[in-house]
Amino acid sequence: MRHYHPITPYLFIGPMIGGLLLFRIGPIFASFLMSFTNWNIRTNPTWIGLANYQELLSSDVFWLVLRNTFVFVLTYVPGAMILGLLMALLVNQKLRGIAFFRGLYFMPFITSMVAVALAWNWIFSTRYGVLNGILTTFFGVQRGPAWLSDTNLTLWVLIVVSIWKSAGFQMMVFLAGLQGIPQNIIEAARIDGANRLQMFRHIVLPLLSPVTFFVLIVSIIDAFKTFEVTYTMTQGGPRGSSSTLAYFIYQNAFVYQRMGYASSIAYVLVLLIAIVTIANFWVRRYWVAQQVN
Amino acid sequence: MVSRYRAALLALIALMAFTALSSAQDVPTLRYFTWEVAQRGPEGEAAERALLDECAAEIGINVELESLVTPDFFQRVSALAAAGDLPDVFGVSSGTIDEWAADGLLLNIQKYVDRDIKPIQDKYFTGPFSTARYPKPDGDMFAFPYAIIHTVLWYNMDAFDAAGVPYPSEDGWTWDEFLAAAQALTVDKDDDGRIDQYGFWLYRGRYAQIEPWVYQNNGDLLNATKTRFEPDDNAIAALKFLTSLVTEYKVAPPPSEFAGFRMQDVFPLGYAAMWVDGNWQIANTRSQHADNPDISFRFAAAPIPRGTNWVKDVAYGWADMFGIAADTPYPDQAWELIKCLTGPRRTVQLSFAGKIPVWRATAESEEWLELDKLPPNKSFLLDWAQFIGPTTYTPGWSEWRGYADGAGLEGLIDAVLEGDLEFADMLSQATEKANSVLTRLYPEG
Repeated sequence: MRHYHPITPYLFIGPMIGGLLLFRIGPIFASFLMSFTNWNIRTNPTWIGLANYQELLSSDVFWLVLRNTFVFVLTYVPGAMILGLLMALLVNQKLRGIAFFRGLYFMPFITSMVAVALAWNWIFSTRYGVLNGILTTFFGVQRGPAWLSDTNLTLWVLIVVSIWKSAGFQMMVFLAGLQGIPQNIIEAARIDGANRLQMFRHIVLPLLSPVTFFVLIVSIIDAFKTFEVTYTMTQGGPRGSSSTLAYFIYQNAFVYQRMGYASSIAYVLVLLIAIVTIANFWVRRYWVAQQVN
Repeated sequence: MVSRYRAALLALIALMAFTALSSAQDVPTLRYFTWEVAQRGPEGEAAERALLDECAAEIGINVELESLVTPDFFQRVSALAAAGDLPDVFGVSSGTIDEWAADGLLLNIQKYVDRDIKPIQDKYFTGPFSTARYPKPDGDMFAFPYAIIHTVLWYNMDAFDAAGVPYPSEDGWTWDEFLAAAQALTVDKDDDGRIDQYGFWLYRGRYAQIEPWVYQNNGDLLNATKTRFEPDDNAIAALKFLTSLVTEYKVAPPPSEFAGFRMQDVFPLGYAAMWVDGNWQIANTRSQHADNPDISFRFAAAPIPRGTNWVKDVAYGWADMFGIAADTPYPDQAWELIKCLTGPRRTVQLSFAGKIPVWRATAESEEWLELDKLPPNKSFLLDWAQFIGPTTYTPGWSEWRGYADGAGLEGLIDAVLEGDLEFADMLSQATEKANSVLTRLYPEG
């Protein structure tokens, strides 16, 4: 057996570690320091201590955006997961042409958000939108809602579009999980007289729980970071009613050029994601099936 | 020994000659970054490259062109400033020039202007030069305008004819005359209970649609030093009149009715017979009509209607400009490039439709006036440019005004138009919001 110098493996991983430190870890620390500064990008930052965090906590807009973010997370995550699971159950069948439907359902996930936004803008357009057209034609609604400019509706529109767009990804992961469930257990349950619902409740769901946990964590992080759909469809409007934390960061950093303030918001977001993720890992022992060798 | 010295001497001479030759060939390369070219599309870019080649050959430089549409342009140029890598010549907005000059990022070009432009200043529209000064109003110039922008009242001539309403006078309508016309032009063509053509289109509290009315009522949104949001009575009256067009007179739709449309398409598509916006909207109106010939109509420009407290015509306008990076190693060449890009070589084909070139001969040429195209009274745009007055641009303008994201004042006015907020509440909230931004930037007031 040939022996390598102990340093050799590090030489191989060195470039990757270097890139990680330079382009990921470095900026994370830099933005933490930045959150204590006033920096307009163009000139040198000035140290202002906790002023950005104080401003953040006293800002009505921040609390509105935070509320929006939680509404988004709490509806998008279960919505996308349930829809993804239902779609996975639907396409987890041995039918002719099933691959086509799997591809079809996955398509929105890989479609450009700009194209998606254009299409959904037309669907939700107040005056000539497809949705309001349906409401008028089939339900006699004279004047359909202003989906894209009513402060009570816009966030829900973004949630619907986001679920539609990402459910294909959840479907694929659930599908992989479903196909990993040993068929002998299903067969045994069937022989014992379990009906489909019982099998789903007592066999499929528990055995799928590690995958569900993975999808849950990924979906939560996705939801907290949601940006594209907001940027392309509503720009956070009207009056901040559809703005979420990631968009609020972008707005302050690149529209208002307040990098320090934006960094402080970013750290609030990091903190939230960390708390929710740690909490999830902590509670998973109560519902995620452990693999037994 | 002697031959060795001779060989060394010859080698030295050859080296010097080579160095001299290579330095003679070392032509400086300037970087030129603008938003204008990206907005004119591939043909515009090719034309701009041809112009750059001409200018570069004349000055003895190479020029690298980069262009991005707004607002991406502003984000990129700010990032370049942060990296200490600003292009030698770049587009400067009237909205940000004060901040950029104050931050020491723009070269003071007053000496160049005094030397090269002053002797021939009658060849330029010098009105917008004040926009390029820092500090305002009498400071030095830190950028050089290439196009004049202002806002006018656009109207659908066919709709006016159909309604039997006389066209707006180029001497200026009063608010009452405007309102009467808007009422006559608000039509339910098929009697289905839904308005098919509104008299007017007001998009949220967009700056280009609000400020012109304020200035034509002898008002201002800001205090005299432009450090606080303090709308005077005349400005408040203008805001009230504008919002009443939607909430009271119903001659304009609430913006939500056209959610899903681009705001600039409502007038060209015939859903409103009048709107106020920039002179650059000619391009979009023409292109919409080219794409949809069945809905095309004749359109023209008119002055912004005069308010009840009107004293004199004041046009809301500004300039698009080029600036030079303060740390450019080639300030002289950069200035020569700007002169070339803003002078007679910038022909009509190289200008964005509607924006007025600062080189007077180009703007006044028949080619620019386009007498065979719409609008038929493009010369009015030149006349109106002489009334350009103040703007509301301040540091942090984008934030308190709501440009690009529809927050701030723009969003609050939108709330009034949608019936979600009382006018008085809008005013107090706008004052609080805008001054929280301005106080941060001007603690002293």
